[in-house]
Amino acid sequence: MPSRDPSREGAIDLATDYLDSGGFEADLARRVAIPSESQTPEGLPHCARYLDQEMVPAFEAMGFDCQVFDNPIEGCGPVLLATRFEAEDLPTVLGYGHGDVIRGLDDQWTKGAGPWQTARDGDRLYGRGTADNKGQHGINMAAMGAVLEARGALGFNAKFMIETGEENGSSGVREVIEANMEAFRADVFIASDGPRVRTDRPTVSLGARGAQNFDLVCELREGGHHSGNWGGALADPAAILAHAISTIISQKGQIQVKEWLPPPMSNAVRDALKGVELDGGPDGPRVDRDWGEPGLTPAENVYAWNSFAVLAMLSGNPASPVNAIAPWARAHCQLRYIVGTDVDDILPALRRHLDDHGFSQISVEPPPPGNAAGFSASRTELDDPWADWVRRSIERSAGQPPATVPQMGGSICNDLFTDLLGIPAIWIPHSYTACSQHAPDEHILLPLCREALALMAGLYWDLGEGGTPGTR
Amino acid sequence: MGREAAIERVLAYYDDDGGYFRDLAARVAVPTESQRPERLPELYRYLREMIEPAFTTLGYTCRIYDNPLEGCGPVLLATRTEKPGLATVLSYGHGDVIRGQEGEWAEGRDPWTLSFEGERVYGRGTADNKGQQLAHQAAITAVLATRGRLGFNHKFIVEMGEENGSRGFRPLVQSHKADFAADVYFSSDGPRTEIGRPNITLGNRGVINFDLVCKLREGGHHSGNWGGLLANPGILLAQAIASITDATGRIRVEGWSPGLIPENVRAALKGVTRKAGPDAPEIDPDWGEPGLTPMEKCTASNTFEVLAFRTGNPDRPVNAIPPEARARCQLRFVVGTDHGNILANLRRHLDAQGLERVVIETPDTSNAIFFEATRTDPEHPFARWMKAAVDRASRQDCAVLPNSGGSNVTEIMQYDLGMPTVWLPLSYAGCSQHAPNEHILRPLMREGLEIVTSVYWDIGDPEEGYHP
Repeated sequence: MPSRDPSREGAIDLATDYLDSGGFEADLARRVAIPSESQTPEGLPHCARYLDQEMVPAFEAMGFDCQVFDNPIEGCGPVLLATRFEAEDLPTVLGYGHGDVIRGLDDQWTKGAGPWQTARDGDRLYGRGTADNKGQHGINMAAMGAVLEARGALGFNAKFMIETGEENGSSGVREVIEANMEAFRADVFIASDGPRVRTDRPTVSLGARGAQNFDLVCELREGGHHSGNWGGALADPAAILAHAISTIISQKGQIQVKEWLPPPMSNAVRDALKGVELDGGPDGPRVDRDWGEPGLTPAENVYAWNSFAVLAMLSGNPASPVNAIAPWARAHCQLRYIVGTDVDDILPALRRHLDDHGFSQISVEPPPPGNAAGFSASRTELDDPWADWVRRSIERSAGQPPATVPQMGGSICNDLFTDLLGIPAIWIPHSYTACSQHAPDEHILLPLCREALALMAGLYWDLGEGGTPGTR
Repeated sequence: MGREAAIERVLAYYDDDGGYFRDLAARVAVPTESQRPERLPELYRYLREMIEPAFTTLGYTCRIYDNPLEGCGPVLLATRTEKPGLATVLSYGHGDVIRGQEGEWAEGRDPWTLSFEGERVYGRGTADNKGQQLAHQAAITAVLATRGRLGFNHKFIVEMGEENGSRGFRPLVQSHKADFAADVYFSSDGPRTEIGRPNITLGNRGVINFDLVCKLREGGHHSGNWGGLLANPGILLAQAIASITDATGRIRVEGWSPGLIPENVRAALKGVTRKAGPDAPEIDPDWGEPGLTPMEKCTASNTFEVLAFRTGNPDRPVNAIPPEARARCQLRFVVGTDHGNILANLRRHLDAQGLERVVIETPDTSNAIFFEATRTDPEHPFARWMKAAVDRASRQDCAVLPNSGGSNVTEIMQYDLGMPTVWLPLSYAGCSQHAPNEHILRPLMREGLEIVTSVYWDIGDPEEGYHP
């Protein structure tokens, strides 16, 4: 146990000791064991329990006042705001995490001990939420605790919100903030979610892609019909839907609906992403270099461009096929998009595209409520003073400048901070791309967590040292 | 006259509550699902308890052949030899059915219990094929009871694996050719093309099932973090399917065309339409090969279907790029198609599209079917004799289809045993065979029994009968 040392290094030592002594794994094990799925009704009570049992006591122990807001939308989880006010003239920093997770997918895990029990395998710690996001906000909370212990105070005013519906589109969080603007007001937003560009490269992300989910449905008739008797006389809905998809996106992953594309990429964005190489780690999937928009690097494709995915598709009975023409086919689809895309025209443009290509029999339908997404794109500009300040603090701890991406590939409620609260929003992700978040076998890398604890302790230390943007 | 007496007899059996439908109910109650391996004992039970005793009573000698393929259904051959020199007729039915699809039937109907509603009689196998096979059995029973003999030699096959692709049936017959040898073939399966008019069908489309699989990696990956970086297997498979046909179902794979429709086929199909009954699906006029009538599309052209498609987790989707996609596909093809190279030509086609990552796989055995296409010339003497016999029996102009749209074991009779083949379908296209709510229509099946009885009567007539 290092002795209390009122210095940056002392704070960092305390933070890394939290991992070395097993405290991080113990706290995370309890948190992962709470099956706080926000996409299932059964998960809802666990979302509330996560806040009451795990978050409120931890923040109160650090001298935060806790307020839990019920979600105004039926069936959506509560939002915690923890506030530690130190002095009027200090900067106020808003943190964020989400306590909910995606479905456990219990029967699909091949590693660890299933979704609801953490299991360590070498450097990896498996469990649902380890990466997304319980492990990440746990790191930031512990780093803040280390600074408090080292300095006796934070040296800044801290607000920390934990919501419980991020995986279901953060429904209701906007309404909660709008009704309590003063409570959430801050000078800057700094939080952690998602993956670094590569395991060994600290990363600062200044925004998020938006996500528009929708279903494409080709429903032609009731019931199946014998493919011998009717084959040739009845249209095949799966074939028609496949054709429609083939007009939306090319065989190489290039979006064909021109209204779906963002404005041309700026030189500043190209410069920021120059030299950013993606690496999912040894077990990560291999990047398909010929996929996406031609002429863009992989980093540009994911951090500065739009992408379309078929998340799921079903027609007929794949498990026990019969020789019949299926009555319908449905594809659950998604467009991830960056700031500058004409969001309001995404679905109307798709409708026009389908009609123009002769697919008027295909309907565009709302996605299932359990996977509705609906995040907006938003970002803080690359030259924002806070972005620069955060990059320098990280460089000081890591000994290398972080990679800076204009927006993370994923989607999150970043617009609530940039647009609603009107503050710069800066993300420092602590996971890596092959962490299987949103899939079975989700995990984090413990060495990366240890480094993240150090980076965040250094950052929170620096926030209390004065000289932050907007101060003299 | 004798023929009328035989018909009267078969209709009495049909109209009697203790007759046709009691026997059919007992047969439908045996869940002979040949796509489910655990049903093998039911397949044997059906032959031993339902078929063998009935034919033995009629003076047939029965033999049950085990399938040469492990786990596949047996075959029964019932033989009645009246006199050498008489024509030998081969008939066929199958006692197995597709999956029951319990829980998917309307009104909570149980597939294994006959249920009556208006003119409809629901139950798995009513149309395909237990009800039709029973009609033939009833007809020969009536002819025998009326005439005292058939007037021809008769062999009757009851197969128990048709819905599982008749796997093993062809090699079984090939190793017992003498047992199955006959002069002509006359059986019933499938639907009429026009509900109000009988037709004979002289062959079938071939069929091959295959899976198209695009497996790119293990596990799903967050569609935000990876969207734009990872190829999407669902999209690649959609592209592959979109390259196989155009958006209206016209096949684009080189080597999959049967060539021009032969003149005798086109002529036979002239004036034949598809009238499937009130609840039948509406035909999509813009689908399939352009310039063909619906009948020509279904029976004289090749068609590609995606029977089923899955990627990701459609029941509970998550925001992840799925690791793989699989489509269960099918090509129905007519005589003239290069059937030995269907998959090789598809492979070449996909490679030419740059879709090397889409793999062609053999489907699970329960869905792995292959049948050759067959066709007897509509001008063959037996085809002409049969048309005349059905015209007589029905007092209608019987349509002649050079082949059906569906696929079946005709390849064995035509290519291995070498005989002309005539099917007389007794169901209608709206019967939901191969789907929940399979049913027959009471008046239609009644007419079917009448025609089949009349045809068997006429085949055995010393003067008017068919003499090869």
